[in-house]
Amino acid sequence: MNRTSIIALLIFGAILGYFLSFGTETTRRFQASVYQWLAPFFTTGSGLQKQITSVRTGLKSLEELERENGALQVENRQLRATNQALRDVEHEVNRLRHALNYRDRSVFKLVPAEIVTRDSSTWWHTVTINRGKEDRIDSDMPVVTDEGLVGKTTTVSNTISIVLLVTDENCKVAASVEGTREQGIASGERVAGGLTPLLDLNFLTKQANLQPGQKAYTSGVGGVFPSGLLIGTVKSFRVRELDGQAQLAPAVDLSHLEDVFVVTGRK
Amino acid sequence: MIFFFILLALVLVTQIVEFYIPPIDWMCNAHIYIAPVIVFYGAMALPFPLMLALALFAGMLLDALTVQVIGSKVEISMGWSILLYAVLAGIMHGLRPLFIRGRWEVHCILSGICTSAVVLAQYLMITFRRGSVFFSREVWWQIGGPGLMAMLMAPLIFWALHGVARLSRYPYLPERSHLE
Repeated sequence: MNRTSIIALLIFGAILGYFLSFGTETTRRFQASVYQWLAPFFTTGSGLQKQITSVRTGLKSLEELERENGALQVENRQLRATNQALRDVEHEVNRLRHALNYRDRSVFKLVPAEIVTRDSSTWWHTVTINRGKEDRIDSDMPVVTDEGLVGKTTTVSNTISIVLLVTDENCKVAASVEGTREQGIASGERVAGGLTPLLDLNFLTKQANLQPGQKAYTSGVGGVFPSGLLIGTVKSFRVRELDGQAQLAPAVDLSHLEDVFVVTGRK
Repeated sequence: MIFFFILLALVLVTQIVEFYIPPIDWMCNAHIYIAPVIVFYGAMALPFPLMLALALFAGMLLDALTVQVIGSKVEISMGWSILLYAVLAGIMHGLRPLFIRGRWEVHCILSGICTSAVVLAQYLMITFRRGSVFFSREVWWQIGGPGLMAMLMAPLIFWALHGVARLSRYPYLPERSHLE
């Protein structure tokens, strides 16, 4: 080995040592700055991908577009009417809760976001969204769609954030099952063979006897996820040595996710 | 030197492109990785110091884009991919004389094996952290699949990079005719 190689090896060792000494916060900051630096590439890539997909699948005739537009307008009117009715109900519920000295129930403050990239790694289930600190997004904020829970934010840079999906083994969500008093912890599987991975709902009682089709919601325990968000529906239940375990099909189709909402607080 | 910077740029581009390549469902969702193949080509084509620099850049990028920081813990610390790339690229670099003699097939196979080794190392690291080591059919596919794909892509990528090296007048070109 010549002198240049030895010097190169020493410099390499020093830089490696520097990286290995990173703590959690330094790693988070470094990751955020790399993502921020690459954000324009990700945004362009995402736009290109959407254009290619729309060219491949989205060429519709004028007639089809008119029909779709009409249907959407009808749906929009229906949703407005439902929304108005729900506002009245919310007002009434809060008035009654107030009379009973309970805290007001409030709706969430949502920040809409687009999926910029999907996970490229084998062992982690994440997506990147085009919202960050500039939109008042912070780490550990729940991410949802109209169908249910998607995950939570982890590393957040100025204009881009990483979302840990509910199907990741590290995303643990306190859950309760409708129609029962069962509570458990939902998390993803380490290795998923299919495009739509399932969730495991652990630490249920052996007597839970959950039936396929029952819905699991966030219980609000733990502080990250507010209660009442749909996580998924029960597919199967089995009794283990110490507890009961259910398998859930996620409420949201995570493989075709395009738009999400970040829950930044309550109104 | 220009070729080295071209390889750096290509590693960056492929690392970004990998985000938009969907997993292969018939391979139990195995991912396609292109960046390692470029790093392993660089390991054979570049001199030792530049090979280390390429491994450093690629490993740093891989860590920054994949490492998971949840709450107060990091699953795989920054730097592990750098070390992994450097060791594997070092092994490939050791076989450089064979490559210079124009024997590419060994390196194509090795590129696949080393790509799988990166994925396997990641799996072992997260498994030891999370507990319960298991190797199911899906796990083997997700480890072996990227390697298999890298092996298939390697001849084409090597040929393309060989062309780029020629264009950039890179002096370390592996020329069969010069040495045989």
